[in-house]
Amino acid sequence: MKLKELIDKFELKALTNIEDTHIKGVYLSDMLSDVMSRAESGSLWMTIQTHKNIVSVANLIDLSAIIITNGKNVPDGTIELANRFYVNILSSPLPTYELAIKLVEAGVK
Amino acid sequence: MQDESCKHLWKITNIKPCFIINEFCYKCKKNTTYFSLEERPPIERYQEGEHFWNTLGYDQSIRFDLQCKKCGKLVKMEELAGLMMCTGCEDNCKVYSLMKELEKERTWVYVAFGFLPFDETKQLDKEQISVLEDYFNQRRKSSTSKIKIVSGDLIENFSLCYGNIIKDVDMLSSKPPEN
Repeated sequence: MKLKELIDKFELKALTNIEDTHIKGVYLSDMLSDVMSRAESGSLWMTIQTHKNIVSVANLIDLSAIIITNGKNVPDGTIELANRFYVNILSSPLPTYELAIKLVEAGVK
Repeated sequence: MQDESCKHLWKITNIKPCFIINEFCYKCKKNTTYFSLEERPPIERYQEGEHFWNTLGYDQSIRFDLQCKKCGKLVKMEELAGLMMCTGCEDNCKVYSLMKELEKERTWVYVAFGFLPFDETKQLDKEQISVLEDYFNQRRKSSTSKIKIVSGDLIENFSLCYGNIIKDVDMLSSKPPEN
């Protein structure tokens, strides 16, 4: 599935400019060091972390997008940095677990 | 068996969760960082010879090594304290100059730095930095962007740098994160 299709299907809110890309998996974690060491390139990363460090990690391992769950507010500094480094950030009002179930049901794994 | 002609394909190995601890001695004004593998960050003040160490802060992080999937060569990363994404804070900085040059082709610059004090601890050598760069580029499946990793030596004054250090911020806070 491509990112823009995912945004439409799951009513995700794009917080940054979006560069469309193929999604190659999903990784759930709130620890940056864990994501840096284990997430696959091209994955969607679901987290409640909003610190601008998430941009450094997503850019380093080339994730397709970060989805901030639970409708958490994302600081302007994080969004500005993400736009500068072409990192896609999306937002969902759902908790991580609920959104993960919906993604699995839709065949995104 | 290690093969010098091997075109290495790196994987991450020996991953250990840890804390990176920052301490300061009020007597000699020395600032140090080190990894602790203990379950809880050591935050008590203590005396070590002439030094009176006080914890300034700590964050969760990881230690790891890199190993070639093909020939088994192991490159230890014991001197790596962290990675920092250059965000271009200081016009005269050599890293920022490099970033300005490379960002046109979507090559992003990260700084690999060692432990404090930089002039007293062994810093990463060229091979370690080159292997780190290869590892992260091999891991990226995108053909449109790359990673360039440089040594922390290029930054003249680290305390004036506003680059983005990859670390787990506020993970041990007793309060739930604010919405």
